[in-house]
Amino acid sequence: MKPDMPLPVLEASSIVKRFGGAVAVDDVSIAVSAGEIHAVVGENGAGKSTLMRVLAGILTADQGTVKVGGELLEGGAKGSLEAGIALVHQELSLIPEMTVAENIMLGSTPTSYGFIRTRQLKAAAAEALDEIGVSVDLNESVARLSVALRQFVEIARAVARKPRVLILDEPTATLTPAETDHLLAMLQRLANRGMAIIYISHRIPEVFTICTTITVLRDGKVVDSTPLVETTPSAVIDKMVGRELSLDLSSRRVATPGALVLSARGIRAHNVNGVDLDVRSGEIIGLGGLVGAGRTELVRAIVGADPRYGGTVTLWVDGHPRNITSYQPAVRAGIGYVPEERRTDGLALTMSVSDNIALPNRRELSSAGVILAGKTARFASNLADAVGLRPPVITRDVGEYSGGNQQKVVIAKWLGRKPRFIVLDEPTRGVDVGAKAEIHRIVRELADNGAAVLVVSSDLPELLELSDVIHVVRDGRITGTLSAADANEKSVMSLASGENLVGA
Amino acid sequence: MKLGTEQSGLLGRVRNLAARRTEGRGLILLALVIIVVAILEPTAFTAYSVTLGRVALIGLVALGLTAVILMGELDLSVASTLAVSGVIMASIPDLGLGIVVALAAGILIGIVNAVFVVYVGINSFIATLGMLFALRGLAFVISDEKPVRLSNIDAGIAFGAPLIGPVTPRVLIFIVAFIALQVFLTRVRAGREFYAVGGNRQAAFDAGIPVRRRIFTGFMISGFVAALAGVINTLERTAADPTAGSSVLLASFAAAIIGGVVLTGGRGSVVGTLIGALSLGILQVALTLSGVQTDIQDIFIGSILLIAVITDPTQLRAAAASVRSFFQRREKAQIPT
Repeated sequence: MKPDMPLPVLEASSIVKRFGGAVAVDDVSIAVSAGEIHAVVGENGAGKSTLMRVLAGILTADQGTVKVGGELLEGGAKGSLEAGIALVHQELSLIPEMTVAENIMLGSTPTSYGFIRTRQLKAAAAEALDEIGVSVDLNESVARLSVALRQFVEIARAVARKPRVLILDEPTATLTPAETDHLLAMLQRLANRGMAIIYISHRIPEVFTICTTITVLRDGKVVDSTPLVETTPSAVIDKMVGRELSLDLSSRRVATPGALVLSARGIRAHNVNGVDLDVRSGEIIGLGGLVGAGRTELVRAIVGADPRYGGTVTLWVDGHPRNITSYQPAVRAGIGYVPEERRTDGLALTMSVSDNIALPNRRELSSAGVILAGKTARFASNLADAVGLRPPVITRDVGEYSGGNQQKVVIAKWLGRKPRFIVLDEPTRGVDVGAKAEIHRIVRELADNGAAVLVVSSDLPELLELSDVIHVVRDGRITGTLSAADANEKSVMSLASGENLVGA
Repeated sequence: MKLGTEQSGLLGRVRNLAARRTEGRGLILLALVIIVVAILEPTAFTAYSVTLGRVALIGLVALGLTAVILMGELDLSVASTLAVSGVIMASIPDLGLGIVVALAAGILIGIVNAVFVVYVGINSFIATLGMLFALRGLAFVISDEKPVRLSNIDAGIAFGAPLIGPVTPRVLIFIVAFIALQVFLTRVRAGREFYAVGGNRQAAFDAGIPVRRRIFTGFMISGFVAALAGVINTLERTAADPTAGSSVLLASFAAAIIGGVVLTGGRGSVVGTLIGALSLGILQVALTLSGVQTDIQDIFIGSILLIAVITDPTQLRAAAASVRSFFQRREKAQIPT
């Protein structure tokens, strides 16, 4: 080690973490020094969040050690907190019914004889908010804050502990560009004062704005770790995906939209404020937008899974208009819905693949109310083959399969109904690269065979690759529509966040 | 650059307060009950010592339940804890020792419940349902299936006498328990963290809150309070009844829920529970005074519980929407195609 190199504050060596048979983090070493902002990047499922949960003591590593200031980390989440590691989670981890001040000081509430010292609590919370340059009413309950403000309250909580190492997991996913800039400037300030920061993000430009070192993870392994000045954004992206990435637009299908299949007018529901939407046969419509923009609420209102406050949905069945008011008639009329939460909403995990596939097709697979076992097995195994389920054992419980295969089962059960209109909400979230490609192929085939397809995705490359037309949703409204030719990451993001990025 | 909300004016602050509190529905119900009872059966108020006693009986057990429900757990065993502690107390000749042992038994039952929930990982509904049956059986075994008479009957009679005006020791104990729990849940760190455990357990754990210890504390509180109710009952009746408590269980749950405590945890207050207990207590006494049988009273309480849950603002919105879509479908069906 060179003498002028500062000693690392946090040093993790050869961390291995397995979940069942799958290795999530595979022999990863990482070191962060005071004043350094260390970026950790990688695709979904590369093991970033798992690694951070190990560093924060929430998960215990199967192998390897974590040292803070030269001392071995012990005692789980509490031990890590005491050693000075603060993690800002990807999912919001605030208590909605507690006030801003209580949330900021959660777990480190100042007390005397067990009683809360309210004045001290508020003073410390105010100090933390001041440090990150955000003003919020300390007595407001968190349930009433916007998603972005909650994110800042969460960061304030981490900062209030005066950590030596601050870890942020995708902090900007729900922020507008202005808020993001504010956050980045604040991190820079904290680092200048000697805090070590680990910054996880998908957004490469952000990383190149503030970070000093970058570590790239792929499939749980470190593929590169280098000072930022020695690399370029495109080199980083290549290492993330492990191949030359170019949006392969040449392989795009040529969309040949046919007759109108679904038309929604003036849809209003929880978080949805008046949306008109048309989907034609053979067409894939993408819905882009930030998390919390109301896309899931919109599609659930369209298919009738959640109540609508207003608006009408018309499905054209062989040239006849049918009004769609609730979910079961919608399914009977030929609508398929692959929900965002496949484990809770899309599958019965303790039932077999074949039973799951048969669920929406019971009528066709039964005679006089009795389900025909042979017919069901043939039906299920044909569909399992069609979606490429691996291994294609239809008698196994769905819960035993990986995320990607589970998603294939959800899609398979709807394929069996030959839907006229199908909605896929985040179809490839938490799915490995191979399964993702297969799911994309299935979605394209559906459209090629004449189905009208509506895809919700927060994965921008996926949205750009699949969609013929992209509607961008913000605050429960469609704020812009882009054709496949005009859409790129920048144009979608600027519409989604409501700020003009292009040319800014 | 500054990001953030602005401090709103007086009206905004009042609206914020209303949105944050959970007692609104309980207050409305209480007002309705008071008005209706004042018109139809005012004796419920002139006989206030009876009414207060009833409120204290329902309310005490409901307070303990509130602590557990706030963490998103349930404790059905309170009804049997009440019976067992009373029987234990009456079986011990020395009154003081009997009370101490009975209360200790309540805490022990809470610990057993918590072990099942926290370490064995049984859903608290099932764990405490098991305890409900097991402890009821135990109460019958200890008492030999008969009411056990208190050896020191004079002490019991003295205990039932009013101290100041209508305030009997039972009411006084209820008030003390109410204040203690209110302070614990709003001012003491451990109690305040009950809300975090119920509101988002993973987040509470990640923030370094000892979630398991908090759950233990909650069950111990509810066990202790139920045993306390058992002790008071036994003293007032000068005998311990092994069947005691069955009618209290549902009324106590109803009091907490009507008061705005949410079954999934994280939302509610002991003030709400007090309001719920007041409403139900006044209602029960008024119905009894009007000669309504207890079976019919249960129909009233059940209906009020359902109304309380249905009038939850989020429930109301969903219900309105589904009613609307139901009628939309009807209209559609009438149009010939």
